[in-house]
Formats: sequence, structure tokens, C-alpha cells
Amino acid sequence: MHTNISRMKITISTLAVLLLVVGSLGALTACEGAEEATGAPLKAQERLQVATTTSLYDTGLWGYLEPMFEEEYNVELDVLYAGTGKALEWGQRGDVDVITVHSKSRELQFVADGYGVERVPFAYNYFLIVGPEDDPAGIKGLTPEAAFQKLMEDGSASFVSRGDDSGTHSKEKAIWAAAGYDYEDVRNAGTWYVEAGIGMGPTLTMAHELEAYTLTDMGTYLAFKSDLELVPIVDEGGILLNVYSVIAISPESVSSTNIDMANNLIDFLTSEEIQELIGDYGVEEYGMHLFTPCAGNEPG
Amino acid sequence: MSNNKPIIETTDLGQRLNGRDVLRDINLRIEQGEVFALIGPTGSGKTTLLRLLDLIDKPSQGKVYFNGTDVTESDRQRLDTRRRMAFVLQKPVVFNASVYDNIAYGLKWRGVSRENVHTRVDDILDMIGMVDFHKRNARMLSGGEMQRVAIARAIATEPEVLLLDEPTANLDPVSTAKIEELITDIIQQYRTTIVMATHDMSQGQRLADRVGMLLNGEIVQTGGWHEALNSPRNREMAKFVGIENIINGVVVSSEDNVVTIGTDDSVIEAVSDCAVGEQIHACIRSEEVILALSRLSSSARNTFTGDITRLTFTGPVARVEIDCGFRLVALVTRRSVEEMPLEKGKKVYASFKATAVHVIRRG
Amino acid sequence: MTKAIELIVSLDPEVMQIAGRSLALAASSCAIATLIAIPLGSVIHFNSFRGKRLLVNIIQTLYSVPTVVVGLFVFVFISRAGPLGNLGLLFTPAAIIIGQVLLVLPIMMGLTISALRGVDVTLTDTAISLGANRFQTAALVIKEARFAMLGAVIMGFGRAISEVGLSLMVGGNIRGFTRTLTTAISLETSKGELELSIALGIILLFIALVVSIVLNRLQQR
Repeated sequence: MHTNISRMKITISTLAVLLLVVGSLGALTACEGAEEATGAPLKAQERLQVATTTSLYDTGLWGYLEPMFEEEYNVELDVLYAGTGKALEWGQRGDVDVITVHSKSRELQFVADGYGVERVPFAYNYFLIVGPEDDPAGIKGLTPEAAFQKLMEDGSASFVSRGDDSGTHSKEKAIWAAAGYDYEDVRNAGTWYVEAGIGMGPTLTMAHELEAYTLTDMGTYLAFKSDLELVPIVDEGGILLNVYSVIAISPESVSSTNIDMANNLIDFLTSEEIQELIGDYGVEEYGMHLFTPCAGNEPG
Repeated sequence: MSNNKPIIETTDLGQRLNGRDVLRDINLRIEQGEVFALIGPTGSGKTTLLRLLDLIDKPSQGKVYFNGTDVTESDRQRLDTRRRMAFVLQKPVVFNASVYDNIAYGLKWRGVSRENVHTRVDDILDMIGMVDFHKRNARMLSGGEMQRVAIARAIATEPEVLLLDEPTANLDPVSTAKIEELITDIIQQYRTTIVMATHDMSQGQRLADRVGMLLNGEIVQTGGWHEALNSPRNREMAKFVGIENIINGVVVSSEDNVVTIGTDDSVIEAVSDCAVGEQIHACIRSEEVILALSRLSSSARNTFTGDITRLTFTGPVARVEIDCGFRLVALVTRRSVEEMPLEKGKKVYASFKATAVHVIRRG
Repeated sequence: MTKAIELIVSLDPEVMQIAGRSLALAASSCAIATLIAIPLGSVIHFNSFRGKRLLVNIIQTLYSVPTVVVGLFVFVFISRAGPLGNLGLLFTPAAIIIGQVLLVLPIMMGLTISALRGVDVTLTDTAISLGANRFQTAALVIKEARFAMLGAVIMGFGRAISEVGLSLMVGGNIRGFTRTLTTAISLETSKGELELSIALGIILLFIALVVSIVLNRLQQR
């Protein structure tokens, strides 16, 4: 009996020590990433934080490019993903040094407001409207604007919207506007219009479950395609153009920003070598090009 | 007793808890080296009083003196004084630690050196006969063993005053005997002043020199055991000390301190200084009542006849209830019941002396 | 499912790194929170003051504070534009630890207070009667409550390792830096990588199970 008590005493103190050791080790390993770069942990100069749109991140492009950039510039690249709205917000607050997003009008506004230095397009592809194979609303072959008009007039076939202020959501709103509708009217048009408030992948899954239409970027659609009974319904029309740009945060707006390294990232993304890699990305896995490189020029 | 000051004295001590006066006007003197028993029914305030004496709680009224010094208020003084006393609570609480550590706590808290703690604890373990238990977790002990540890823990600090709250409540007879033996040892070995609360009258008589009776938060009487048992101050106390025959009456005549008391339809003679016309209770201990089958010519002034209504046995003693106009209870030996013999419905003569009647004024 | 088990059995280095990071972050948070919650909870328990009951009620209400609310609070403070912005804490493991500490503090403090309250009052009286001063009494009561307080640590750890909203918000789920099991599950699920998500989920449950078995065994002794 008494041996149990003394052993218990030992284990309790051991446990306390263990907890502290694991804790401090944890704190150390957690900072390890920073130390690897230069030996001084968490120094802003040696890390570059890039916020990228979810659709770009989910294709795996960043996971592919990240080690190359890190090696070339001897820097720790932190890739954060979020919808375009949130990425812009982080940039505005100075929480990231550079952003890659896909919403032209908001990007131009962001630069005009002095938060960004310059909008540099580096790749593009097209959005597409996907839906059930039997196309219940009969919108196949229409232009995107005409297709949305038919959905609105018909009011029976469901449409799932991202509803999260992302680049894809911005594009969807732009199409509604081009089709001649006030977006508020669309939101209140009926139960057929579903605002999901989630990422692209879950939105596609939701559209699949509801047998609904949705607007998606090419990359995410290809990644999810095998699990979905959704097929491309409308994939042509100038308005579906989806341009990804990179914008460095202006040091005049946020003094702590790592502008030199941000410029390095822009040079990297628009370099001939990397542009070629972006163009070929995904061919092996999906049998088609996910992006068309456009090295600093507005496509179309 | 060289010092004439009482070791503990209280003046007009009162305690109000949750809007109720739990204790009132307690004026108590505990002399150095005496064993004082506090008796009284459950809820009479014994525990509350012990807590005030040990300076665990602050009184809402009055003062506590220790060796003549007022120790009621100052926290520093209260702690210092408390460290010269020890209090064993009614429910044995041991700490979740070894028996050794339990006994060592009080010494460690007083800053006693490691070696001294060691010798002291070993001595105490020896005294309570629990040397082999020292490494055991105290929580694993039986109730009686826990109580022994609790007492050992208290006396380890060599207190000048030991306060015990119902030290054998909830214990079996064997454990009770062991605890009483331990207390006797302490009394003999250390000459510690002891104040103990108990509702066990016989235990109080075995251990204590003097008794204080607490009733509804007031000390109704203090003194020796004979006085406490035979001359209670009021009806409740009379009941508490085990007087079964309490008869209401009024004094009808008085002569040379011998009074005649008129009850509903009888007359009782008693020794008392009460005046004619006073409302009283006549108290007769049942062991003072003598039974016979024929009228006895003895010095007993009070004799009544009646039928036995109930007869019960407790070991060698028989309890006989008689209806003689009022209910009278007598205690006789089982042997005399068998010899006479007595049985239910039988007519008997019951008598008791005038000096056996204790008269309490009704008020 | 088979692919999920394969991923675990093969001890995929990235998966193991994420699991190790999750464990280390939760353990760090839990250790720091313990060092704060036990003294603070004790101070609250052993002192009587105006508004004590209200304070305890507030602490108990905060048991169920959503992780994203704590995340938002921390974000606003440590973002560049916030008061602690120049420390550059956002999107670092330190940010996650700060958030997790804040997240588990109420539950650990509340359970510490409950544990101390659970100690028999007669034990306190006994200690006082044996000549313990305030601090000696408090130390004894804390020692008596040690196993119940271990329960507080278990709860805290469980909440820290299982939260996702906070890590996502202030950690940013950066690969190789702030990615934890839960944020990885969230990401992989949204990417449709269900097998990997399940594998990560199984590892998370396994860690939680091992930790609680170890702590529970200590508690029951």
C-alpha cells in the first residue's frame, strides 16, 4: 500500500515535469521553422507571408511552388489561404506581405486605396457553371448571362452560391449584374437560391447533394470531379474569365511589410521558368491545363 | 494549580449564526489541568462553543481569555494561542497522506525541525499502538483507527488544552473503549487540560471531573457529577440526565424545609426550600423507587399503590411502569422481579424517600 | 478507410509532424494555463470578496465560449493593426498558444475552484485547529484537491487539442509551421481528401485517448 503512495507521488511530479518539458519542446519545435531559415526565430525579415485565394491553394499549386521559392531566396514562405475578401482584409491590416487573388475590380480598388503597390496578373483560367447531367433548367449552350436569366425566371432549379465574399462569389455577382439583376433581388428570389457561406469544395459537394447548379473555378472542380455527379453546363463566355494577380502590400500603408521579398515573389511568379511550370501544372494529374500563364499582362 | 487564573475563561460569549442565537451569555472558567465535560442534547451548541474556545470562529459577542489574556480579536494572537491548543473534531477527518505525515502536520506547521518531528511522531505512534501503520494512507483506516490518528495528531503538538468533540460518536463499543483508554492515558501522562463535548453521560462520568450543561445555547448549570445528575436546574435538563419521573404539582404546605406537594389526586412529600403556593416539578430518579407486594413500614414518606402497566428488561435491570394515579417508573433487578414475582396487571406498593425527590421550580 | 489506416501505419512524416505539433501546442498551452489557473483559481477560492459569486458565474459561462470568439479576440489584439501588432505574433505557433491558453483558462480555473470547493470543510477546520496559518491551510487544501485538479488539466488539454476555429484564425494553417491536426482535417475535408482527414481524425482521437488514459489512471490511484 505505502509503495503505491510513494510511487503515485513520483508519477505526479514526473507528469508535471513531463508536461512542462513537452510544452517547452513544443514551443521550441513550433519556432523551429523560423530558426531553420537564419537561426534567429520569428524575425519578420526572414519570413514572407502570402495570402492566397482558396481556389488557388486547393489546386496544390502553392505546395508545388513554395519549396522552389524558399530555396531560391532563402526565405520561409508562409502560405495562408482564404477567400479573396479575407485576403484583402489581411493585406489591408498588414498581417500579410503579399496577396494572390482573383477579383479584378476589388483589386483595382485595393491598389487605388493605397494598400497595394501594383496589380500584377500572372495566370488565368475560366470559371464554369456546373450542374446535374440532365440539366433540369435547360441552360446548356446559353451564355452565362442568359443562363442566369433563365434560372431566375424559371425559379425551380436550385443554385448554390458561395455567399462568402470570395473571388468566385464576386464573379457570380458580376454575372448577375451583367444579366440585368440587382443582387439583393436575387438573394431574395426564393428557396432555389442557396447561400452556402463555405469554401469551393464544400460548395460543390452541397450542389451535388442538392442536384443544383453552381459557379466554380476549374481547379477545384477538377480536384473534386471524381466524387461528384456534376458536369460542366456553361463554360464559354468572356465574363467567365478568371484572372489571378499578385499584389505586394504597399510599405507606405504598412511600414512593417517585407516589400523586397514581396517583389522577389512577384519576379518569381512572372519569371519565364515559373510561368512555364504554372502552364504545365496539373496536366499529369488531370490531363488538362489548369492555368494559362500571362506574365504581367491582362489577358483577353 | 499554582496559577490562580483559569486557563480559559469566557465572558458573556455569544454566537449568532444565520440569524439565530446559537450561543448566549456563556460565562465559563476552565481550570488548569481539569477535565471538563460539556453535556447537552444535540443542537444545544456544544460544537459551536468548542469552536469558539479553539478560536476557530470569532464570537459575535463577548470575550475569550487564555491564561488571563484577551485573545478574542487579534488574528496573530488567535493563531499563536490556537497553536497552544488542539481540537479533535467530531467527524474524524484525516488528510489524504500517510499516518506518519498526518501526525507530523501540526509540528511542521509550527516549524519544528525534521529530526524533532521524527522522534515526536515515533513516540506518539508508539503511544497509540500504531507503529506498524506509519506508512499507510490514513484514508484507508477504519473509523476507530482514524479517530486514534486524529487524537494522536492533536496531542503530537503537546497542547496545553485539548478540546474533544464527541470523540466516540459513531464508533463501535470496542473502538469506543480504545479511545477512552487513550484519553485516560493522555490525562495521566500529560496532565493536559481537557474540554470534551459528549452526550454520553456515562462516558462523561468516567472521564471528567466537572460538567457543564448546555441547553438551547445557554449554560444552565456547572459543577460536579452528583449535583448534575441529581439536582438538575430545569425540566429539560432533568430529562436529559435521565430522570424519568417528573410530576407537576404545587406546594401546599411547608415546614422545616419539608414540603407537601399536591399533584392531581395525590400528595408527595419532599425536602425543599420552596414556599407554599409555588408551581413545581417533582423529580424522582427511577432507581430511587422501591417496590413491594405489601405495605412497607419504612422511613420512606411517600407510598403509592397501583397496577403494573408495563414490564421490560435491559440486561439485569427491569423497568417497571406503574399507574398510581400518575405514571411512576421504577428500576429493580431482574432477580427481584422473579422472586416477588412481578407481572403485568399486578398490584404493587411503590415508595421513595422525601430526600429522593428533587424539586424544580416551574417558571 | 484502408488508405487512412495505411497512412497511419506508414508513419507518413508530414502526418507525424502535424500530430507532434498538435500535441506540443496543446501541451504547452495546457502547461501555461495550469500555471495560471491553479494559483488564480486558488486565490479566488480562498478569499471572500464582493462579486465573487458573479465572477465564478462568469468563469463558468466562459466554459462554452466558442473558439472562434476567442480567435477573433486574439486576432484583433495581435494583428498588425492591433495594439500588440508590432510583436509580429499573428500566424505563428505563439498565437495559437496564446489563444488556446485563453480558451482553456476559464474551464481550468472553474474546475480548480470546484475541486477546492469539493474538499471537505471539516478538513479546513482540522488544519486550522492544528495550528495552520492561512497559507498552510490553503496549501493543504490544494494538495487534498490534487486529483480533482488533474481532472481540470485533462479537460483543458482535451479542449485545446480538439479546437479548430481558433488555430485556423490566428495560426493560419501554414504548412510546416502552424498546421495542426484539426486545421489539417478542416483543409483536407474541404479539398475532398477524405481518407487523409479520417487518418488525421483517428490520430487525434488516439492522442486524446492516450493522454486521458494516462491522466485518469493517475487520478484513480
